[in-house]
Amino acid sequence: MVIILANIGFIALYSAAGSSLDPWAKKQIIRFVFGLILVFIISFINIRYWKKYAYHIFIFSFLLIIGVEFFGDQRYGAQRWINIFGINIQPSELIKVTLILALSKFYSEIRYDHIGYIRNLFIPFLLIIIPFIFIILQPDLGTALMFFILGIFIMFIAGVRIWKFILSFFLTLITLPLAWNYLLKGYQKKRILSFLNPESDPLGSGYHLIQSKIALGSGGAYGKGFLKGSQSYLDFLPEKQTDFIFTMIGEEFGFIGSLFIISLYFLLILLCFYIAFQSFSIFGRIVAIGVGINLFLYVFLNTSMVIGMIPIVGVPLPLLSYGGTVMLSCMISFGFLQNVSVHRQLKIG
Amino acid sequence: MFFSEKKNQFKSFTRRSFILISAKLTLLILVIIKLFNLQIKESEKYKTLSKKNRIDFKLIYPERGLVLDSSNTVLAKNYNKYDLYIIPEEIKNMGLLLKNLSKTIKITFKQRKKAISLSKKLKKFEMIKIVEDLNWTELEKVETNMINFSGVHLISSPKRYYSYGRHFSHVIGYTSKPSEIDMKLPYISSMPKLEVGKIGIEKQFNEILIGKPGIREIEVNSEGREIREISSEDCINGQNIELSLNLKIQKVINEQFNNLKSGSIVLMNIHNGEIIGMGSYPDFNPNKIIAKPNKKYWEGILSNELGPLNNRAIQGLYAPGSTFKMIVALAALKNNVIGLNENIFCKGKIEFGERFYHCWKTKGHGKVNLIKGIKESCDCYFYELSKRVGIDKIALMAEEFNFGKETKIELPSEKSGINPNKKWKKKNLKENWYAGETLISGIGQGYILCTPIQLATMISILANGGKKIKPTLIKKELQDQNNTNETKNINVSNDHLKIIEKAMIKVVNESGGTAFSQRSNFKDYNFGGKTGTSQVKKITLSERESEDFRKKEIEWKNKDHALFVGYMPINKPKYAISVVVEHGGSGSSTAAPIARKIFDEVHKQEV
Repeated sequence: MVIILANIGFIALYSAAGSSLDPWAKKQIIRFVFGLILVFIISFINIRYWKKYAYHIFIFSFLLIIGVEFFGDQRYGAQRWINIFGINIQPSELIKVTLILALSKFYSEIRYDHIGYIRNLFIPFLLIIIPFIFIILQPDLGTALMFFILGIFIMFIAGVRIWKFILSFFLTLITLPLAWNYLLKGYQKKRILSFLNPESDPLGSGYHLIQSKIALGSGGAYGKGFLKGSQSYLDFLPEKQTDFIFTMIGEEFGFIGSLFIISLYFLLILLCFYIAFQSFSIFGRIVAIGVGINLFLYVFLNTSMVIGMIPIVGVPLPLLSYGGTVMLSCMISFGFLQNVSVHRQLKIG
Repeated sequence: MFFSEKKNQFKSFTRRSFILISAKLTLLILVIIKLFNLQIKESEKYKTLSKKNRIDFKLIYPERGLVLDSSNTVLAKNYNKYDLYIIPEEIKNMGLLLKNLSKTIKITFKQRKKAISLSKKLKKFEMIKIVEDLNWTELEKVETNMINFSGVHLISSPKRYYSYGRHFSHVIGYTSKPSEIDMKLPYISSMPKLEVGKIGIEKQFNEILIGKPGIREIEVNSEGREIREISSEDCINGQNIELSLNLKIQKVINEQFNNLKSGSIVLMNIHNGEIIGMGSYPDFNPNKIIAKPNKKYWEGILSNELGPLNNRAIQGLYAPGSTFKMIVALAALKNNVIGLNENIFCKGKIEFGERFYHCWKTKGHGKVNLIKGIKESCDCYFYELSKRVGIDKIALMAEEFNFGKETKIELPSEKSGINPNKKWKKKNLKENWYAGETLISGIGQGYILCTPIQLATMISILANGGKKIKPTLIKKELQDQNNTNETKNINVSNDHLKIIEKAMIKVVNESGGTAFSQRSNFKDYNFGGKTGTSQVKKITLSERESEDFRKKEIEWKNKDHALFVGYMPINKPKYAISVVVEHGGSGSSTAAPIARKIFDEVHKQEV
């Protein structure tokens, strides 16, 4: 299933580049193959080790996030990338996977009836909120929110009481203005503001959305045909190889095509849950569900973004969109999923 | 206990997982519903939008039709003018390029500034015009240095040129960029880049001359750059217009006004109304108007109080003066108020209503009959005739000759003139008609006003045996066959016309006639006609009493207009002329000689 989606991605990228393997499809294939190898490596390492080192991995990825602030590359007005051994990666994507691991470890190690203790609420909350703040400052609101929601959902699935979520929601509302006034620096505020207010640039996000809707709508039920999407082919559709790849598929293959893509993703998400239910360990279960939640968030945010249900926040479509880190973090998370599946019989608490 | 904890946790886990899955499914279904709306329900709307996005239409401009004279000499043509453009994306250093360019050709600071500011506004592959209509030396200089000017392009576009400059200034007119009013016309607004006719034939036949645009349907990308052509429909070039004018005669006509300030000449074929020549003075050179820069020339034209842009032949309004006497005579004959040989005694003036009405000949003409009245242009005779026939009947006769109505010649902004009667005065001046006004109307003065083209039409009808004609600038053979059936005759007896014709021949060819001194020098042709002198300023009693007022040097603008209407040859009339020399003095001394010279030329051409 992963391979099917990835292949659709290659074909779509081939189309996006105007029936050419360069510059996107070829690279993406290489990344995918690399990712597949990674999946196998990750899945065959005993889950105990992963659990043992979950915090270490999380802290390492967090350090990368901090590194971005200091050594990162500036692109499109945001500081999201860091160069490691000549490879540009986006640590904010990676940390989503490591958060899954860290939270899973945490919840598998505490007693279920102690889950409501202040200490047991506070530590996962810190795990979520500190990287969240750093990601927001990059600024990458989309990823930050995704990260935050992912964490909250994992806490939910782990069994934290619902009223606590509601309470913290209101607490956040209260603290938000305070944080805005006292914690953020001027340039950081400016970055976030311009991100939140895309109307200040009429040919920016608003234009993207309109063109995306035109592309999807003009695709109709059956689409314009492969390589015949005029919107993307003639560059009306921006970022067609990344955030708007779903739009391009919708234009070329119509409603049928987009329905097919969404169904595939949904099946993949169901698979995560299936694997979770099969696992005998809490750690494994939460990891699998976490991967599922993460995948869902990507898919939902991306598709609802390109059809105008939510503002354009720059969330890619995993496996389809061009982009190294997303591919990497996806493959890593599938690796863990596979791992949970392989080691489902192990009772590791 | 621990075990049950675990069980509890697994239970809660399962429950919450289902909550999550159903929540996700709901959200994804929402997305799918939205997609369904977008891709199935509203698909048509977005398909149109998508098409609009990618399809652009580019016009292919037709070439403007030529204007030709009766022997197919090209009077108005198109040539390729070269404009200098730059394309910013091909230029490395804009400032440097402009500096180098200005060393080669003249580029003003303003042009440079404009180019730089435009290059910032427009898309970088769009062309920016720097200099318009390069002359040959400039063109040569730029072309030889083209290697140094990457990003500089010379683009040719058609521009109008009038081969004979001022000779056809008013008739043909000139073209220029369309105005806002022009833009209301669909055939102009569909091609807003093209120049359109502003006056004359160029304006009248804009729609025919301009042609129809071709359309290229092209696919463009988001920047508007052309990707490929989808379809293309060729343009239809403008049709040529063949005029009835004759270049050689027109030149001779224009020569006549070399030493005169203002006036008009119309030469016309009396049988079909074709205009052979038409001049209005002062004239202008259309090439100088459309050239760039034209500011100085244009301001000169606008500040000229004589209004060189007015086509006096169709827009100049003059009292016909004595040339109107034929109409009065015909009205009198028709209404039987005078016998052919009935004499009226002219003693130089007549008294009517406690006022004196003077004849031009102070001593008087003595006994005058109708023929002599016209031949010697006796005013007293016509005072008496008009008194007898009355203004309304004169006006009725004048109407037969197209007075007070536009001739509908193919030129814009023609004036209709005034053919007054009692009703007209009541309506327009809210006053009753005075009997004295009938008298001065009898000699073509007073309220009556007409254009030179109306005068030419009048004399044509008199000479062609009473056939109604419509003046035209288009070769008759090219006109619709349907139009030829309007060979209506005017409501005047042929005998009466013969009498008038006889009188007009005597005006020129019999001693004592007002234009006898200007009779033809050729043995094989003669012409007939009638002089006219139309008063501009009323002669006051004191001036008249000073006896020698005629000899006095009167200020130019107070001088009388000199008129002559005539036709030729007398044995088989073919051409008619009307000459108006504004403030030219008397018709016999100023206007008649002009007519004779033109008739001589026509005669030479015919032979």
